[in-house]
Amino acid sequence: MADSTACRLYIGTSGYSYGEWIDSGFYPDGTHSSNMLDCYIKTFHTTELNYTWYQMPKAPAMERMCEKVPAHFKFAAKLTRTLTHEVKKNLWQKEVLAFRQGMEPLIRAKKLLCILIQLPPYFERSVDFRNYLAALLDELSGLHLAVEFRHDSWVNDKVFSELQRRKITLVNVDEPDLPGLFPRLCVVTNPDLFYVRFHGRNAKGWRSGSMQKQFDYDYRDEELKIWAARIENELMPEAATGGIFFNNHVRGQAPKNALRLIDLLLRKGNKKTPWNEPSSI
Amino acid sequence: MERAVIHLNIADFAVAVEANLAPTLKGRPLIIAPEGAPRAVVYDMSDEAYKEGVRKGMPLSRAKRLNQKIPILAPSFNRYEQAMKALLKETFAFTPLIEYGQADGHIFMDVTASKRLFGPSVDMAFRLKKIFKKAFNLDPIWSVATSKLVAKVATRLVKPLGEYIVAPGDEEAFLGPLPLSLIPGLEKPELKRLKEFNLFFVSEARTLTLEQLKIPFLQKAPLIYDRIRGIDPAPVRAFSETASTLSADHEFSDDTNTAGSLRSALYLMIEQICRVLRTRNLHGAGTKLILSYSDGVQNTSTSRLSPSTSNDMAMFKASALLLDKAWTRRVRIRHMRLICEKLCPPMVQTELFTPETRETKQACLIEAMDKIRKRFGKHAIRAGLTLTENRIGS
Repeated sequence: MADSTACRLYIGTSGYSYGEWIDSGFYPDGTHSSNMLDCYIKTFHTTELNYTWYQMPKAPAMERMCEKVPAHFKFAAKLTRTLTHEVKKNLWQKEVLAFRQGMEPLIRAKKLLCILIQLPPYFERSVDFRNYLAALLDELSGLHLAVEFRHDSWVNDKVFSELQRRKITLVNVDEPDLPGLFPRLCVVTNPDLFYVRFHGRNAKGWRSGSMQKQFDYDYRDEELKIWAARIENELMPEAATGGIFFNNHVRGQAPKNALRLIDLLLRKGNKKTPWNEPSSI
Repeated sequence: MERAVIHLNIADFAVAVEANLAPTLKGRPLIIAPEGAPRAVVYDMSDEAYKEGVRKGMPLSRAKRLNQKIPILAPSFNRYEQAMKALLKETFAFTPLIEYGQADGHIFMDVTASKRLFGPSVDMAFRLKKIFKKAFNLDPIWSVATSKLVAKVATRLVKPLGEYIVAPGDEEAFLGPLPLSLIPGLEKPELKRLKEFNLFFVSEARTLTLEQLKIPFLQKAPLIYDRIRGIDPAPVRAFSETASTLSADHEFSDDTNTAGSLRSALYLMIEQICRVLRTRNLHGAGTKLILSYSDGVQNTSTSRLSPSTSNDMAMFKASALLLDKAWTRRVRIRHMRLICEKLCPPMVQTELFTPETRETKQACLIEAMDKIRKRFGKHAIRAGLTLTENRIGS
């Protein structure tokens, strides 16, 4: 695949239910949390589900969510923390089963972009962790998977070729230049899907323990322009679909930056897409 | 804007606290109850004991009959109070809107206004869970919802361990398939009546209109109508650790039902509370006394203080009546807790020429005692009443 026009992009934000997005103007005044998804889908065609990391997804809730979005809308769902951060040796296989059952409505409705496996910073490339990851990927086989590493020991050709062999997406991350963190790369390991997550580059707040500081970053136009070029030239020609998500949710910076990236990719130059109008690519 | 309410619940709180001190108790059946006391009842039990049929408030003799091998531990109310205080200290870092039970491991937090500072409510709940686990080795169930009602039902569903997030707007759908017995506020008589109508689940009861509900339930119908729809406007009671209440505890080394000992202990607690009130230039306008008997039963009594006061003797006068009101049984008392409520600033306007009354003389005496204690330590001077029995320490 070498034609970037054949690639379908899904650009959105990590989560959509943020009260502070009302203050920043993304949601109209007085928007209730229960109506935020209705507003969100007017602008974006995809979102990451964060709450599935905190809590095992439940099929009825997923079903209700599917009913709220149009047919073309896609969800990327985070794998539950009991499978990434708080793994219990003899129980995790059961957790996978429960997760699959919870995801069933999304899969059936063809609204699942992929499962995002976000691994913790301490998840180094050790023998134990490698074995666990391989077993986890086996257990989750049949689902579209994207793996996000937070430790730079995984930057290794062997890792990338194994992901390629399994047709599993490596998540390209944009995060601060801090020692130990996974660097900014442009690697496609799955011809079906590439995935980029923008966490912001707030080096000072990254390890503060507060999400409000960690993800408080407003991407500059130059930074987004570099990414737009990389996406178009390096990622899009290599995959049939792309998922791009902004996690810098603080003060509504995520939807603002996502819309700007859409503008840049649409080659609108300095003309910015006004908020609350549908944007697609 | 709808609210974000977190409910943290440490299941079998007393057992969890005790198991922290004696890890061998973990994962085993355990009953907390005053074994030696006549007519003792179960104060708390582990999940394993619950599975064997033991319930809170059950006569201990009956619990023993279920399984004689279950170990029984005497309750240590002070220990649970201290553990609860430590947990609350952590939660106050996130919001001042906190409501909690009496050393029972239940905490409701309204974090609607805290999101800008601390991020999504789900993340706050998760962080607190981690803090509780790391700092106190206590693992709470947690839930996030838009009301106390829904949050409480959610934690009931995942007990003894887990979490539940009820997304805003999902309340009706969440409650629909649940049995009516899980809805807080529906008492035994209401549940019995609904059962008579063959209504067992929330979704079934919802088919009744408010008018229909009014026929069997009269004035309670609107409450039932709202509850089964997840509507609960009750606020998380605002609480400020420093300004709203003050409390003092006394645990008797030997259970007692001697009036002198009880009054001495009460006076000591009043001295402790009033000293803090005077330091903060506050008055208390209400008191609550909780007596814990040796069989695990608790009696509570409350009264208003009019006028509000920070005077030891005036507060004792009112609280002594409270003691008489709460002390209704012949069973010995193990623990006393006095809570001073409705803290308020003292009346600023005073008389220009104050006539010398009994009250002003008492105020002068207390002021003098405060000065002595400040200079020579709190044991330097004591009220005669506290010397009633030697075993009453300060």
